[in-house]
Amino acid sequence: MKKLILGLTLIQAAWALPASATDYAIGAIFPMSGPNAEYGQIFGAGVNLAVEHINADKKLSGTLSVIYEDSQALPAQGVTAATKLVNVSKVPYALSAFTGVSKAVASVGARTKTVMVNGGGVGPDLATLGEYFWNTIPLANFEVRAMAPFLVKDKGFKRVAMVYVDDPIGQSLLTDLGTEVKAAGGEMVGNFSIPTTAQQFSGIAARVRDTKPDVVYIASYGNQQVQLIKQLRDNGISQPIASYSAFSTPSVLTLPEAKGVYFSAQQLNLTRDDPLTKRVVADYKAKHNKEPGAYVVNYYNAVLTFAELASALEKAGKPVTGENLLAQRKATKSFEFVGATVSFADDGTIKAPIQINEIVGDGTTKVVSAGK
Amino acid sequence: MLFTQLFINGLQTGALYALIAAGFSLIFGMTRIFHAAHGATFTIAGYIFYECYSVLHLSWPIAALAATFAASVFGVLLDRFVYAIIQRHEGSFFTVFVASFGMAIIVQNLIAMIFERGAVTVSTPLSKSLEMLPGLYVAPIAAVVILCAVIFFMALQWLLTKTSMGIALRALGENPTLIEVYGLTPRLLSQYVFLIGSILVVPAAILTAATSGLNPAMGNHVMLISIAATIVGGVGSLRGAAMAGLILGMAENLCLSVIDPQWSEAVTFVILFLFILFRPGGVYGRAVVS
Repeated sequence: MKKLILGLTLIQAAWALPASATDYAIGAIFPMSGPNAEYGQIFGAGVNLAVEHINADKKLSGTLSVIYEDSQALPAQGVTAATKLVNVSKVPYALSAFTGVSKAVASVGARTKTVMVNGGGVGPDLATLGEYFWNTIPLANFEVRAMAPFLVKDKGFKRVAMVYVDDPIGQSLLTDLGTEVKAAGGEMVGNFSIPTTAQQFSGIAARVRDTKPDVVYIASYGNQQVQLIKQLRDNGISQPIASYSAFSTPSVLTLPEAKGVYFSAQQLNLTRDDPLTKRVVADYKAKHNKEPGAYVVNYYNAVLTFAELASALEKAGKPVTGENLLAQRKATKSFEFVGATVSFADDGTIKAPIQINEIVGDGTTKVVSAGK
Repeated sequence: MLFTQLFINGLQTGALYALIAAGFSLIFGMTRIFHAAHGATFTIAGYIFYECYSVLHLSWPIAALAATFAASVFGVLLDRFVYAIIQRHEGSFFTVFVASFGMAIIVQNLIAMIFERGAVTVSTPLSKSLEMLPGLYVAPIAAVVILCAVIFFMALQWLLTKTSMGIALRALGENPTLIEVYGLTPRLLSQYVFLIGSILVVPAAILTAATSGLNPAMGNHVMLISIAATIVGGVGSLRGAAMAGLILGMAENLCLSVIDPQWSEAVTFVILFLFILFRPGGVYGRAVVS
């Protein structure tokens, strides 16, 4: 009888002990519908692969999961999604995308001490959104600094016309390109802003043609950039077209009219001889039958960053909160990312060499200017 | 030369807008159903044409027939199994609108799941502009768009004014209760309206696929144009919808000669606003008895 009572007591005591494993949820505020949904699909592929790897490796004591919210790439929807993730789902860490959305959700992160990490938006002012906002993608000012000399000095395209979407990323690129083109010895011969919802560009093509540019720089994204390239080409713009990393989507890369287009993007070293890079490339290829692009890698790295920091906090016996994640990031000198070992700067950004790609056609590109 | 170029572009865009708006205007004018899924019909037709022509490499007439079939089936089934059921239970105008709007979202997501979320285009030499005069570029497809608009509007005008079915359809728009006295069935006529309205959107969808490309979310833009053209042209007037489409397309392009491109879309809504303020009945509108 005594043994039975002892056994029951032990069982009860064991049940009363706190669970040693903690499940974690992080948020992801991506465009899952609307004209920019293609990006959400690409970002999600990187996130899901990272979560799969982290759980398979038992990097954390519990299971990691992602709660997706649809921003439609709109700031207002993004803030609603961020508020829900922070207040209802209580996530300490959320992924964001798009410059406008990221700028909007950063205030939610700062106010609630929740870490927000961007791996897709490239507006230069994303470096100034406070210490709870981090970027795992190099920002557009670095891209423009590589593209402008390439166009003006290497290619001899002195007269640059620009078509830009009238939102934070378009405005940022307009300012930076104007400065960099002038510094390289070229001139901006025309700047044409378009609304984010515009779909008809034959009139814009006529205005652009009128400026007699050597090259046309496009600062748009999503389905609009596909329509823009096609309509510029169809309406007599035979000059070279250039853009930034937003062009690295399958719909642009496979567009027949996009053949010969130049775009800047971070340099990815997917042939790096380390187990992490090899595993990500192999597993992504097995799932999607192609190599992972920069967006996939950036969001994989963003999730990996959470796992590394949360794991360190668990070992130190500290709770995984936004504040502790920030402190742990500051205490961590470098991170082993896919394709590189990186460090976060004080403003929460990372730097990477920028290369210029040319679209060859059928979804492929070639590097025409190596990473600088 | 810039003005001439913008004028020609405006003509092409306007003809396309007229084709887009005609179906919605017909359906709304005859049945008083705010068919918010009209944009979804457009998207379905465009994607079916793309799949048949660019992916399966079928000839364009077969691809166009497939697109017409898909659009018609969608429109008629939506009327038969959604709108009719709501109306049978005396659902309000708003209930029908919400159902239609919900259907548009479902279609948008289904297309994104089936065809991926990125934009697709139909490549054709017809969309490549040729330099007619120094600085004046015109694509052969501009003539196709204008010709299509003229043919479809003439055919529709003939159908509505010269055939007994057309007269019955117009009567449906005037007084759906009274036509039952003449032995006509409003429900059946409503299905004919949806059939014709859905077919009308097909040429616009095909031409849009070739000129500016398709994406799953493009139905929203189609609806904006359709609503604006219906109000500016006058509810229930096909001539009005055609005229309004042309006005909006021309204005959107011609304004580029004087203002920044960023404001070109706003011009559409300025025109709409002015009509609502000063001529709420539209160009060819008539008094509407609610």
